[in-house]
Amino acid sequence: MQRAYATALYEILKKDRNVISCLSDSGTDYDELIAREFPDQVVNFGISENNQLSAAAGMAAAGKIPFVYTTGAFIVYRSYEFLRDDVCLQNRNVKLIGMGTGLAWSTLGATHHTTEDLALLRALPNLTVFTPATPRELTGAVQAAYETRGPVYIRMGMSGEEELFDETYTFTPGKILPVREGKDLTVFTAGSILSEVMKAARLLELEGISARVVNVHTVKPLDSEGILRECKGPGLFFSVEEHNVLGGIGTAIADVCGSAGLPLRLTKIGLRDSFAEGFGTKKDVLRQNCLDAEHIFLRISEVVKNGLSVQI
Amino acid sequence: MDYDCITKEIRKDIFLAAYSASNAHLASAFSIVETMYALYEQGVLHVNPQNPQDPTRDWFILSKGHGSLALYCELYRRGFFDRDTFLSFSKPSSSLGGEPCFPAVPGVECSTGSLGHGLGFAAGAAFAKKLDGRSEKVYCLVGDGECQEGSTWEALMFASRQGLDNLTVLVDCNGLQKMDRVEAIMGIPSLAPHFQVFGCETAEVDGHDIHAIRACLSAENRSGKPRAVLLRTVKGKGVSIMENDPGWHWRLPKKKELKVFMQELGISEEEAEYAKSLRNGTV
Repeated sequence: MQRAYATALYEILKKDRNVISCLSDSGTDYDELIAREFPDQVVNFGISENNQLSAAAGMAAAGKIPFVYTTGAFIVYRSYEFLRDDVCLQNRNVKLIGMGTGLAWSTLGATHHTTEDLALLRALPNLTVFTPATPRELTGAVQAAYETRGPVYIRMGMSGEEELFDETYTFTPGKILPVREGKDLTVFTAGSILSEVMKAARLLELEGISARVVNVHTVKPLDSEGILRECKGPGLFFSVEEHNVLGGIGTAIADVCGSAGLPLRLTKIGLRDSFAEGFGTKKDVLRQNCLDAEHIFLRISEVVKNGLSVQI
Repeated sequence: MDYDCITKEIRKDIFLAAYSASNAHLASAFSIVETMYALYEQGVLHVNPQNPQDPTRDWFILSKGHGSLALYCELYRRGFFDRDTFLSFSKPSSSLGGEPCFPAVPGVECSTGSLGHGLGFAAGAAFAKKLDGRSEKVYCLVGDGECQEGSTWEALMFASRQGLDNLTVLVDCNGLQKMDRVEAIMGIPSLAPHFQVFGCETAEVDGHDIHAIRACLSAENRSGKPRAVLLRTVKGKGVSIMENDPGWHWRLPKKKELKVFMQELGISEEEAEYAKSLRNGTV
């Protein structure tokens, strides 16, 4: 994903001198290459995310388009008030790339996880939130962020996400994207965990259960019409997210349907109001927290066979 | 020019606006009256009231946003808005809140109020201007209590590293914060060494001496470093019972105290009554 980001950013930097890549000691080899070619368009703020956000807002006020690239947990948790007051309240044209979001920093533990960010960011007025699942989708999200006037947050993974889309893929901001057809149930998901959901869908298929998968790559503004269209009629619905089940996409979908008076049998799969446990590879941490393909498959099968369980 | 007469008039207007709203951080506004006058009326800050967004303007950011009335009074005096707007301060339909809001108030570059935000914003703007080779200056006024916010020092490290000599940090060293003296709370007698260590060209001036402030701010900064100007001020300056008393951080005079304010600021019964009527909505 980092490579896809750097490549997408490179193309934008080349075209628009007002675009500035803002790092807080958070860059990769790709950023060093970019800085060599565009020394005036890359600035390292050092380890100071709060100032980075205030300064990005000031730069935007003076006509620049800062792309702030930092570990998601530090942007959202440490600097939430700076994001709120300096960027969103004043509707500044700042782009935020939350790197290593969800459980991507699997070896480091919960201080580096970003598993409540959607709950916090959905509540910020003026902010657009993209959750790309693959490198190709990230490329589209970066371009869309550049074209959007106002603040945008991109929730980016960094665990060697496999490409699930072909070259015809087009990122359409603000629209849900069905990625798998199915007739027995519908699974909404967002971000890197899409690959686990696709694997779970294949396991369900072996059991004779046909799952439709819908990719909610834009969490805000949410495609309410699209979601209501998906949720019409009887059926079982699931949300799967690398996030607390409180306040994430499951909550957002339930909110849309509740407000429209649509009764919905929705099972929210995610962290159950807890911080993630364990260390290891991303796959290890997903497994330990019941969020890998096998656990998703088991949970969905259980609901299909036994009906809804009363559980958050 | 009789500066005492002018600054007394400004403090009177600030008081009337506060009194009409029955709330304000009056003492915090009074400590920066001379600084704001020097900036806006002594040729330091190049601004354009007819076109507040004039791209050639200098930028001023009041990071200690609670001193807003001192800023609003200068914006009103320079013609960014009229007296009625100024006197609408902090009332239901006003654009002038207790803390300045962007983009609602002409001449205000940035919403401030939460301490420790303004300097980073100012540094970002100064950085962008440098990149573009522009000559406009950026000024940011912070409080001495506000300097307890760590983000202030993050911003200074950045400004020094980037050589932002187009940025001036004005520090209102009134020595008080809400509950006590700054030194009693944080044990730092002077901030000057801190600003020096963080790479600023640092000067100290009497923050109630308009000549001294103007002379200091008019001098060209060619040091290649951001400039910090520490203004020695008196919180509540201009009304004897309010000066140097932290108890006045967030309150207005009671009935008996009001007489002292009226006497020392030259406010007539009619002027006080008019301000009060604005509060009651009888005008």
